[in-house]
Amino acid sequence: MNRQLEGLEDLEGTYPFDIRQSYRARKLNRFLWNLRLAEYRAPFVADEAKACRDAGLSDFETDLVLERDWLAMVKYGVPMFLIEKIARVLKITNLEIYAIFRGESFEDFLKTRRVPDAR
Amino acid sequence: MARIIGGIGTSHVPTIAMAYDRKKQQEPAWAPMFEGYRPVADWLAEKKPDVLVTFFNDHASSFFFDLYPTFAIGIGEQFEVADEGAGKRPLPPIRGHFDLSVHLAEQLVNDEFDMATFYDRPLDHGVFSPLPLMLPHDPQWPTALVPIMINVIQHPMPTARRCYKLGQAVKRAVESFPQDVTVAIVGTGGLSHQVHGERAGFNNEDWDQEFLDLFEREPERILAMTHADLVRLGGAEGVEIIMWMAMRGALPSNIRTLHRSYYLATSTAMGVALYEGAAPAGAAREPQHAGAEA
Repeated sequence: MNRQLEGLEDLEGTYPFDIRQSYRARKLNRFLWNLRLAEYRAPFVADEAKACRDAGLSDFETDLVLERDWLAMVKYGVPMFLIEKIARVLKITNLEIYAIFRGESFEDFLKTRRVPDAR
Repeated sequence: MARIIGGIGTSHVPTIAMAYDRKKQQEPAWAPMFEGYRPVADWLAEKKPDVLVTFFNDHASSFFFDLYPTFAIGIGEQFEVADEGAGKRPLPPIRGHFDLSVHLAEQLVNDEFDMATFYDRPLDHGVFSPLPLMLPHDPQWPTALVPIMINVIQHPMPTARRCYKLGQAVKRAVESFPQDVTVAIVGTGGLSHQVHGERAGFNNEDWDQEFLDLFEREPERILAMTHADLVRLGGAEGVEIIMWMAMRGALPSNIRTLHRSYYLATSTAMGVALYEGAAPAGAAREPQHAGAEA
C-alpha cells in the first residue's frame, strides 16, 4: 500500500493511476501513446479495429477504443493524458470528455462552469 | 557565480496555449488570464534572467511508462516543442544551457538526488503552455531553459517534501555554478483541477487561495500533506502543485509575493505568482514594489 494514497479509497469518482494499473493497461496505453505520431494516426483513422488488432489489443481493450468508453478506460488503467492523445485524433475536446465522465450532457456541464465561454 | 533572482509559479493547462494560439487576448472570457501574466512578463523583461530552471511534468508526450523517471533533468543546447497529437504549435525551440544543465546533474547526483538525465526529447505543454505569455519569442526566446521533470502522473510520485528538498538541492547546485549567470526558478502546474473520473471538473478556490497564502509564509504546512490530502483538497491532478514546492525549496526561506493572480474559467484553476527573496523576519521590511532587489 502506498501510504501517500491512504484514505483515498472512499473518494468517489477518483481513480489514482499507479504502477499496478499502468502495468495492466500497458498495451492499450502504448497504443494510445503512439497516436501522438502521424504514422500511427493514419492507419488508425483508416481502420480502427484493424489498428487495434495489429497492436495486439485484447477484445476488451479493443471495445474500449471502438466504443469510446472513456470512463471504463480510466477504471481499467488509462490516464487522461493518454485519452487526450486519441481525443485529438477524433477531434473531441477535453471538456466534452469531462462531461461524459460526469454523465452529463455537454450543455449541462458547461452550466456548472464559472466562465463557460472560455473555450 | 550563478545566483537565483526569483521564482515564478504558473499553471500549465493546455487551454492557456489554445487561447494564446487563437489570439483570444481581447475576449472577455480570456482577458483576465492574459492580464495575470503581464506583471511576470514585465519582471522578466526588466530582470532578464539568463536561464529559467523550470520544474515541469511531461504528460505522456515524450516519456512513456515503460521507463518513467521520478526526477529527470534535460541536458542540451536546445529543446523542441512536442507535437501532442494536434500538430506542433507555432513556437520556436528554446535554448538549453548545456554547461548549467550538466553542472546541475552532477551536483544533484553527488548531493544524493539520483536524477535521470534526458536529451533530444521535446517538451510539452508542461513547459510551453504558459511560456509565450511570459516571454517574447519572435524570432527567438530571450532566455535559456533547463527543464527538470517531476513525475506527477503515475503513483508512486515524490512527496511534496521530497520536491521541496530537490528545490533546496537545486539552489545549492545553482549557487555553486562558477559562471556569472542569473537564474529564475519556475514551478508549473495546478492549481485545483481534476481531469478524470466522475469527479472531473472539481475545483476548490478556497483551497487554492489558502495554498497561495501558505506557499509564501508557511510552506511547512503543505510539505506535511500527503498526496491523498492534496487530491481531496485540490483534485487528483491538482497534486501538480508539488512542482511549485520544488520551486519554493530553491528560494530563500523568507520570500515576498510581488504578484499573484487567480482565474478559474472552465476546468483548471489558473494561478500565476511571482516571488523574490525577502529580508528575514524581524529585519527592516523592503519596499513592496516590483523593482526592488531581492
